[in-house]
Amino acid sequence: MTFVMRSLMAESLAVELRDQCGTADNRRLRRAGKVPAVLYGHGLENVNLTVSAEALAATLRHGTRLVNLAGAVEESAFIRELQWDTWGTHVLHVDFTRISLDEEVEVTVSIELRGEAPGVREGGVVEQFIHDVEIACPAGSIPEKLRVNINQLKLEEKLTLAQLELPPGTRLLADDLEAVVVHCKQPAEETEETPAEAAPGEPEVIGAKKEEADEEE
Amino acid sequence: MALMPKRVKHRKSQRGRIKGNATRGNRVVFGDFGLQVMQGGWISAQTIEAGRIAAQQYLRNEGRLYVRMFPHKPVTSIPLETRMGKGKGEPEYWAAVVKPGNVIFEIGGVTEAAARMCFGRLAHKMPVKVRFLKRRTV
Repeated sequence: MTFVMRSLMAESLAVELRDQCGTADNRRLRRAGKVPAVLYGHGLENVNLTVSAEALAATLRHGTRLVNLAGAVEESAFIRELQWDTWGTHVLHVDFTRISLDEEVEVTVSIELRGEAPGVREGGVVEQFIHDVEIACPAGSIPEKLRVNINQLKLEEKLTLAQLELPPGTRLLADDLEAVVVHCKQPAEETEETPAEAAPGEPEVIGAKKEEADEEE
Repeated sequence: MALMPKRVKHRKSQRGRIKGNATRGNRVVFGDFGLQVMQGGWISAQTIEAGRIAAQQYLRNEGRLYVRMFPHKPVTSIPLETRMGKGKGEPEYWAAVVKPGNVIFEIGGVTEAAARMCFGRLAHKMPVKVRFLKRRTV
């Protein structure tokens, strides 16, 4: 299997210092189109920042994890964590960590399937079990996605984590390398998929029989 | 056959209230695309089954459908033309309680266009407003 990868370039992101903390102040910031953020790491002091929500959304849309902070703070940073709202549409908070390009980072990268498996033409279904994988790689060469070519995946064949080809300098952080990433299998029969087929009219009540038995005694 | 629990601790439950939005179960986890509810409500086991069949018939063994809700709640009712009182009614059906933001169905292994079409059919069966959602990595 061949893996085509593209590492991402760092994008510039304008930040401002934030001297207010707390729920009410942060809500006010969000209403004004800004996102509260924090910068930490390398044993230095934490810095509270704000980022434009629009600029941040554009950065995330491009799939970038590495950013060059500009404005109040001028250094490279890695987007460590994002807090999203219930609907998954707005970012509530961003965690940046200070980083140098040759430093190793642990990052979650998504796995994307490419091509068409020959097993599908034989009536199989391609099922992806692992969508994201954690890897350790130099900060300067974080792949956007791991693209897995499934053009040779026949019926009842599977690909495991151990079979993933990674770019040089990158290692997998998975415990079980035999975990199946993608499997081309025969679809289950419709009757098998029907859940609770043999379910009775009413479920069993836990402890009900016990009580009856006690009463008899 | 509609879903229902195998074993329960109590045959009947109080109605309860749906407060706030979902803070868990609000992301696409198993598939590539999901159907997210925009309103809270009860979705009966029969409705879940109807949605599942509608989606399955569109998919026709392509891709995989995940049902991410389960009808844990027994809903009771009093028979017609019965005087009030004399205790709580008998369990009538089972329902899944959903909060705004819950992802209730997911699809994997199909294109986005196919997933949209499939969820479009499924959405007609749902008693709450729903929307299409994609998987997010970060």
